[in-house]
Parts: sequence; structure tokens; C-alpha cells
Amino acid sequence: MLFSSIPFLYYFLPAVLAVYFLVPKNLKNGVLLVSSLIFYGWGEPRLLGLMVFSILVFYLCGLAIEAGRHKRLWLWAAAAVSLGLLGVFKYADFFLSSVNSLTGLGLPLLRLALPVGISFYTFQGLSYCIDVYRGQVPAQKNPVSFGAYVALFPQLIAGPIVRYRDIARELDSRTHSWEDAALGARRFLVGLGKKVILADNFALLIRLFRESGQPSVLFCWMYAAAFMLNIYFDFSGYSDMAIGLGRIFGFHFIENFNYPYCSNSVTEFWRRWHMSLGSWFRDYVYIPLGGNRVSRGRWVLNILTVWMLTGLWHGAAWNFVLWGLLFAALLLAEKALPALQRLPGLLRHGYVLLAVLLSFVLFNADSLSQAAGDFAGLLGLAGLPAVTAESVYYLKSYAPLFLLGVVGATPVVKALALRVEKARLGWAAELAMTAGLLLVCTAYLVDGSFSPFLYFRF
Amino acid sequence: MKKFRILPLLLLWAGLAAAAWFGPERAVSEAERRPLAQMPAISGEAVLSGTFMDRFESYSLDQFPLRDGFRQLKSLFHYGVLGQRDVGGIYLTQGYAVKQEYPLREDSVAHALDRFRYLYDSYLQDCRVFAAVVPDKGYFLGGGNLQMDYERLLDMVRTGMPWAEHIDLADTLTGQDYYRTDTHWRQERLLPTAQKIADALGVRVLEDTAPRELHRSFYGVYYGQAALPMAPDSLTILESGILDGCTVYDYETGKSGPVYDLARAEGRDPYEVFLSGPKSLLTIENPAADTDRELIVFRDSFGSALVPLLVRDYARVTLVDIRYVQSPTLGRFLDFRDQDVLFLYSTLVLNNSNTMK
Repeated sequence: MLFSSIPFLYYFLPAVLAVYFLVPKNLKNGVLLVSSLIFYGWGEPRLLGLMVFSILVFYLCGLAIEAGRHKRLWLWAAAAVSLGLLGVFKYADFFLSSVNSLTGLGLPLLRLALPVGISFYTFQGLSYCIDVYRGQVPAQKNPVSFGAYVALFPQLIAGPIVRYRDIARELDSRTHSWEDAALGARRFLVGLGKKVILADNFALLIRLFRESGQPSVLFCWMYAAAFMLNIYFDFSGYSDMAIGLGRIFGFHFIENFNYPYCSNSVTEFWRRWHMSLGSWFRDYVYIPLGGNRVSRGRWVLNILTVWMLTGLWHGAAWNFVLWGLLFAALLLAEKALPALQRLPGLLRHGYVLLAVLLSFVLFNADSLSQAAGDFAGLLGLAGLPAVTAESVYYLKSYAPLFLLGVVGATPVVKALALRVEKARLGWAAELAMTAGLLLVCTAYLVDGSFSPFLYFRF
Repeated sequence: MKKFRILPLLLLWAGLAAAAWFGPERAVSEAERRPLAQMPAISGEAVLSGTFMDRFESYSLDQFPLRDGFRQLKSLFHYGVLGQRDVGGIYLTQGYAVKQEYPLREDSVAHALDRFRYLYDSYLQDCRVFAAVVPDKGYFLGGGNLQMDYERLLDMVRTGMPWAEHIDLADTLTGQDYYRTDTHWRQERLLPTAQKIADALGVRVLEDTAPRELHRSFYGVYYGQAALPMAPDSLTILESGILDGCTVYDYETGKSGPVYDLARAEGRDPYEVFLSGPKSLLTIENPAADTDRELIVFRDSFGSALVPLLVRDYARVTLVDIRYVQSPTLGRFLDFRDQDVLFLYSTLVLNNSNTMK
């Protein structure tokens, strides 16, 4: 089920909220677990069992690890089972097709459907087992509470990757307030607006580009910029909705985005983009590999490993691997060339935006050959005209949306909202804005402008 | 205090949710001219296969309270706030809703020409054949928006039908000859167009016609698709004594009826008043004709409003829509001899001809 859908907004969520706030405290996690399973089963009825199995594996391994005997063995067991499932469902066909390409063999592909959100709940469960192993958190004894943590529908499908230790206390005992509900609802609606009004309309332009009968260099650049904004508003919108929903249910999830397009270096960009994934790889891969407290060669290897895995986490295809390695190269270059930091801010900012824009062209390509074609188009090497009537038309048509997107990707809107909030009758203006957002988003959804979240595929 | 600040929002949300859960269900959407999805039946198989969820999604969208109002809100926001120049490919210009028919699909035009060639080779060798392309509204009103390459389309038609005499209709029409909210042209403004065709065919156009306004609130198909606030059109037919005496035989039903099916003027698509809307095969019998000449028109829906204006000197006029009847089977229903034949197709159908058989 999608957050940005009528069944979720007007059927599922109201029903869950009504039941959740009516039942006594000791049943609330049970309501969350059952509703989360319904939420997941709605979109993936045949793969629900896989998630329940994963929950059981993490739960039992957590208990066994805490019991102390063979704790390393149980950690490896949790990792082997969960990463094994991830490998089979997500990476097996990539591996087999790569072997086929390299060797000329005709190994049959598995062609399994990718379970939605498997990368997210696998990483959450793994981090739980590792934290229990490290003694950083006690194992959760209550299977219902543990199940509610892994399957928690507000963040189940596209993050943020919430670590158990961050919400362990709230899982057992949390409070609910009107203020939390108000802030949560506002945050949710902001995320919904980012997704429905901005991301989905940029997605429309991307589709028009792919279907264009008159491609041009201008259209290639519009496509690249549109995807850059599309993926940001899509993913950060989902994170906002997840954080907002969590707040309504009494949870405080970690932030996942902090205006990444305002960064002045690629290093800074990754401190602001998908922060929960970056910190996960830092804590569970990079530091255990030795981080930067190793020889220079080993450190470079660690960086390459982490970023190759980051690329692979996003998708089982070579363009994702290259995408991760591209960022590894940029990060290493920034470390090796500290003079870059002394360049004027505007230049540094321009370099980051260009690097990220080009990286997303690689990211969004269906194949390496399509990526090569897109780059050739951007650089004017594909024999395309500079502009066409079609690209000029869409530039004019989408100029206001681009403007809105660019401003929306900066803290300007938030600063304005804060000023309004502090003004006299600011609360009324805020109320009008949120109600307006709800109505406009509903209007878009009712009209059927359906577009699944990009990060569902990861 | 803070709880009172969020209460209106929650009440709005809850009110819409309650209306979605418990509101009345509608069978059809008048604005969109289509049946609305109904609550799907639930079964283990439907749930496991995901079909129940897919159908529930459609149901929840179709039956959402104030659906038409929300669709209009979306279009207004899209158009007014986001500054988009079209809504789902439809734009407003000079008070007219126009479909952005773009780009030219040459393979589609080629398919239509292939079908026309088949008809000519199979049936029309002994006939006098004419061809006229009906420009869509965008041809006249599309300045500043994306337009198909009309010149290329017309050139393809001319060169693809060398066995036909071509009639250029563009100089007899303006954007104002079309309904503001619909695809089609207004019959009451088509006499110059009909005259040009009649001149080419060597016949007279209907005379002494009297306009009769049937409908003051005709909302055309673009109104429903774009969901933009627009005033309705009026629907006017041209009456004449000759048309009153004509009967229209419908090969699908085996029944005869009048040229203007007035009951349809009150139906879902009032344009269907002209020759009862989409029909595969019709013959208009004109007992007032002085000759025994016959005309066969291969046509789309634009022909429904125009062809009645051409019946004066024809004893029989047959209208064929090969989107609804297989071309190879036509010989079973029609006797092709030395009739006049007119291919009358709009640019919209030529550019989307995949349903031509």
C-alpha cells in the first residue's frame, strides 16, 4: 500500500488510528503489528510470509545472542539467513546474468519478484542483532513488540532505516499527545505534498522525455534536472511521511534528509542525503573494516567497498555499482585535494550539483547503454539538435514547477513556515496550508495520477 | 489550546474518510462519460493474487466523495498554480478546450492508408472516389502549443491515396466551427464545408435548413477529460423537410430510425443525436431524391454531423465506420458498383488508427 493513495489516506489510516487510540496501552503494539502486516500484505500478499519469517529469525537470533552461548554463531546465522534471502531475491539474477555475459553460459535466471522493502527490513533486523551482540541494547523479549519494530508500517517500505536502539524505549513505553499528533500530521502532509505535487509531476516530465519524438540537448538537461528533483522529493517526501506518522504513533524517528542540494562538497552531500543509510554503512561496515585507522591502501579499499555496497544496495545492476564507485572516487578526490575546499562557495556548490545530477543520470538508466546515450545527449555528442519546439514547450510548461522544486529543496520554505508560525494568527495560516495540502493532494490522487515511490525498488 | 488548532484538520480528514466509507455509490460519471468501479467481491484467490487490492484502488478513486469537484481542483491547481500549459494533454485557448494531438504518428497514418488501399483494391475500382481530411481544433487554435505536423499528414494522405480526388476542407473552417468543450464540429456551421464537398461530388448541398437548438448545456468530452471549469456548449441541429423524410437503416439492429435521434440528445453524449452515435454501418434512404445516385462514406464520428447535409441528390447514402466493422466482410453487406465514395476522416482518427480493421 502506498502512503500517497486513497486507500491508505482514507480507509487504512483512519481505521488504524481509531483502533490504535481506542485500545489500552498494552495492546497498542499488537495493533501496530497486525496493521503493519495488513499494510505489507496489501501490496505483497504472497511475500508476507517471507517478512514474517525474517522477523522470527531476527527475534530468535537476538534472544540467542543475548543468552551468551555461541553468540557469534547466532549473529552469523542471522546475517547468513537475512543476507541470503536478500541475495536470492534481489541479487541472484544480477549475478547469474553477469556470469552468463562473462562466460557465455546460459544459466537460467530465477526471475523472482523483489519483495518490497526487503533491503530496509533486512538492514533493520541486522542492525538489531549486531547491537545486541555488541551489548548496546538488550534483546526484545516480547515477540509482538519486536514484530511491530521490524514491520512498523510508517517506515517499513522506504525508510528511514530506524535502528532498534533508537526506538527501543518508545517501543516499550511511549506517550501520545495532541502536540505530537499535530506535528506528525503536519509533517506527513508536507511529505505527501512533496511526493504528490512535486515528485509525481517531475516524474511526468521524465516520462515525456523518454517518450519524446523530438529529443534535444535541452530536453536531456531538463530530464536530468527533473530526475534530480524527482528523486529528492520522492524519497525525502516518503521520509517526511514516515517521520510524521511515527510521531502520531508516539515514535521519534531519525531524520533522513537535510537539504542535500545545499551542500558544498560531495562529502557534505552524503552527510545530508539518506542519512540513515550512510550512518548504517558507517557503523556496521566501514568502521568494522577499520575505517580510516588503517594503512592508506586499506583505507582506500574500505571506501571502495562501502560505496560499492551502497551502490548495490540501491539496485542489482552494474549502473548502481558504478554509481557507488563514482561517489567513492569523488570522496577520495575531495580527501586528496583539500584545496577544493578553498574554492569559492559558488563553484563548490556548482560542482556538487553537477556531480550529483550526472550521477543520477547513471542511477536512473535502465542499462549502461542507456546511460551512455543519456550522457551523450547531455554533452551534445548524440547528434541531437540543441533545442526543439517540443523541448521549448515543456520548458515553458514546467518552468514554474522547476522554480518551486529548486526553492523547495532549500531551507527557504521551512524558514518561511517558521516565521508564519510565530506570527499573530500564524496557527490559522498553518492550518489553512495543511488543509489545502490535504485537499490538493487528494485531488491529484482522486484523478489517478498514480506513481509508486522510487525507493520501493530498493 | 494546541489541540483545537489541529481539530479542524482532523475533522476535515475524518469527514472525508467517513464519506468515503459510508457515502452513496454512483454507477456512472456523467462528466467522464464512463461507468464507475464498484466495490469488488472479496475472495481468498482475489486477495492472494492482488486483484482485490487493484480493484479496490480503482473503486476508492471512482467512488471518492465529491470526485468531480476534486478533479476540477486538481486541474485548476495544475493549470493555475503549477503553470502547466495543458492538463492531461488538453489545454484552454480562446475559451476552447483543445486536445494536444502530438506528435504525428506516421505509422498510424500509414496503417489507415493501408486499410483505405485495401478497400479501394477490394471494392472501389469502379467508383468515383474522393477523400477529405477533417482538421481537429488544434489545427486552428493550437498556436503556441505542440501540434502534430499537419502538412506531413496531409501530404501522406495525398500521396497514399493517388486513386482519390482530394478535397481540402481547411479553408472552409475556423476554430469557431467546433464545440468549445468537445472534439467535434458544429453542424449548424458546416454548410460551407458541405458545399465544398458537394461541389466536388457534383451534387447540391441541403437547402432551406432551419437551426433548432436542442441542448443548452452540452458538456463535451474534453470538459470531462480536462475537468476544467467551462461554460457548456449549446447543441444545434439543422432541420429540413428532406431530412424529415429520410430514414436511417442500422445494419447492427436491423431497424430504421430518423436522421436525428433526439432521445440521445438527453443521453450521456448528446453529440450522438447525429445518426445515433458510433455505428458500424448505416444507410440513409432519401425518398425525395430526384436521382438514383448513391454515396458511400467511409467515416469517423465527424461524418455523423456532416453527411446529412449531403443527402439531397442521393437516393441512398451509406456510412461505414471500419473501426467497428471488418473491411474484408463489407462485401457481404454492401453492393459496390459505380457509386460515389467519400473517405472523410479526422486528423485525430488518422493519428490513432489502430482500431481500423
